[in-house]
Amino acid sequence: MTAQVLPETPLQEEVKNSAPRRRIRKSTSSAWIKTLLLALCSLTVLLPFLVAVLMAFKTTDQAILNQAFALPKPWSIEGFKEAWTLTNFPRTFAVSVLITVFTVLFSVLVSAMASYAIARNWKRKFFRFSSYYLMAAMFLPFPVLALSQVKLSGYVGLDNPVGVILLHVMFGLSFNVLLFTAFIRSLPEELEESARMDGASPWRTFWTIIFPLMLPMSATVAIFAMLSSWNDFMMPSMIIADPSLQTLPVVQKMFQTQFSNNYNVSFASYLLAMAPSIVAYIFTQKWVMSGLTQGAVK
Amino acid sequence: MGRSGASLPLMSRRNLFQAGALGAFAFGLSACGSSSAPTISLYQSKPEVIPYFRDLVSSFNTEHPAIHAIHDATSSLSASFARATPPDLGCLNYNFEMARFQERGELSDLSDLLPEANIAPSVLELVDQYPTYPGRTSVIPYSMMGAATFYNKDIFDQHGLDVPTTYSELLGVCEKLKSAGVTAFYFTSADAWTLAQGIADYSIGGAIDVADFFKRMRDLGTEASNDSEVSFSKNLKKPLEKAVKLAEYTNADATSRKYADGNVAFANGEAAMYLQGPWAITEIMALNPKMNMGIFPLPMTENPEDRKVRVNLDLALWIPEGSQHKDEARELLKYLIQPEIADKYNATNNGFGVRADSPAVSDERLKDLQGFIDKAAFYQGTSTAIPKTIPFENYMQSIFTGGSIEETLATLDGDWQRNARRQGTN
Repeated sequence: MTAQVLPETPLQEEVKNSAPRRRIRKSTSSAWIKTLLLALCSLTVLLPFLVAVLMAFKTTDQAILNQAFALPKPWSIEGFKEAWTLTNFPRTFAVSVLITVFTVLFSVLVSAMASYAIARNWKRKFFRFSSYYLMAAMFLPFPVLALSQVKLSGYVGLDNPVGVILLHVMFGLSFNVLLFTAFIRSLPEELEESARMDGASPWRTFWTIIFPLMLPMSATVAIFAMLSSWNDFMMPSMIIADPSLQTLPVVQKMFQTQFSNNYNVSFASYLLAMAPSIVAYIFTQKWVMSGLTQGAVK
Repeated sequence: MGRSGASLPLMSRRNLFQAGALGAFAFGLSACGSSSAPTISLYQSKPEVIPYFRDLVSSFNTEHPAIHAIHDATSSLSASFARATPPDLGCLNYNFEMARFQERGELSDLSDLLPEANIAPSVLELVDQYPTYPGRTSVIPYSMMGAATFYNKDIFDQHGLDVPTTYSELLGVCEKLKSAGVTAFYFTSADAWTLAQGIADYSIGGAIDVADFFKRMRDLGTEASNDSEVSFSKNLKKPLEKAVKLAEYTNADATSRKYADGNVAFANGEAAMYLQGPWAITEIMALNPKMNMGIFPLPMTENPEDRKVRVNLDLALWIPEGSQHKDEARELLKYLIQPEIADKYNATNNGFGVRADSPAVSDERLKDLQGFIDKAAFYQGTSTAIPKTIPFENYMQSIFTGGSIEETLATLDGDWQRNARRQGTN
């Protein structure tokens, strides 16, 4: 949704300015309607978020009253304290961060390299086939493979965060390669030709010319990889055997029970877990957007 | 291919570096878990008591320095069994899902610990009501929950009502409350489970012998259908019809109310009766510390002797066959079943003791049920005896929100038969 509230690009601005007067009036009024609609839509996200924040600062006694929009009285950080100790936050957080960081790193590196190879060797059967092969993985959701993955990772000693990183990278590969190959195709091949004439190896060409050019798309891939890895529940819960190396979303499952309504503790914990992705999003928003539009236009 | 071959040396150097980083990460992680004493894991995921068991595990560790026990509340149980690295000791709700592990012989024999555990025979019988593994005592009960009808004593006194002991008395109470403009029952139909464990289980359990019914259903195997001598259609129809009659005396907005709303409404005296288990008591008392409530089993027949309490083995202990440290796990099990530890657990968590010599409950409200527990007038709910692959809770929700009883029960019979065929059991 946030993608739709993007500031208008200079190009659109120009078109508007050059248009006759009455069209300007029309477009401003339709802009108002659009803004209003979008504002209404954003309420569907903001209201639940507000409830989450309010709940997190309530005491347990107030949380069970079931009055979602009532202001916390008194404001209490008991929920955060309890969530902190119940989830063993520092350690769980560290595991989640490690998994996410490595997943992002390898997702970008592996998919970028694979995509470069595929995009520039499209005429060869082997590369075309590997592209189809990778794409095919998009149609295999994890739950279908869960049992065999659990068994396999157990056999080879990967029933730990390392196994989760590996699987996250592998499962993301198809989508990331799709994004990257489309992007690489849009880069002029002449750049590489000139590098090759200067004696650069493909490896060198990739690192000095292609990879820097791909940065916007890498940012997009990184953000997608980060979000899906940070929020993933199913895979870590199935793959990681040692409970002390479990990730945040899985540990937070303990708050979800039909019999108790410790909303303040659960929401405090959810906010703690949400914080990193929100912060990351705020700082990289520009990258994501530019990456998305660049991929879309070309 | 030739071009990429030229870059191989560089590539492998970088790969080596990456592999090294990954390896170091893996090593660092695995180093966290190593310890000289054998490590055993206690799997216990009931959320309310996680801190309680965490403390128990740490005091066990100080008393037994040769064993290092860890508390696991988050692993995926099925995945750990599939990986052949199950927890060393499980402390879970005993239901049909758990019984599947037991039936397949995944749980080790604990019969030699039975004398020490001293479980009341009536409680031990509950274990055998689900498919067991021949010749084994696979689980040792730890705590039992008794659930029945909560009632607001003040409202009952105000209208001069006595606790009903027969179904017609119950209807009389409902009529009186209705004419006085009081909601008799508070239903929270938006949460399907509250209907399944509440009105559905109580009405069926109060009218028929649930254990016997399911034994006969299982004996029928794939022969079970709505024409067989026992079936959901035949045996559950009458109790459910009576239950639907009671549902006429509920709050008008039941279909949009959830469990949390029900607790608030009952605590505020918006209804005279509320069908919930002991887990709700803490919350109701927190909402209204002056709440004057009692509990009685829902009478479904005209014989007061038929009244029974719905129970479930809230926690039961088991040690998987696949555990690498069975002896150490047994030590932890023995530690947990010591009377002073088990009794304290039940007293703090509104549970009934499972030993033959366990003390009576201390909670004022639950004392109403003690008499029924003592004479073994209890049953395990229908909803927990049906595999989760059959959406029993949703079927009950459909019945109590206006669906046809006959059609729903016929569907249930069909589901049961298909499930039996799939399992290949006889």
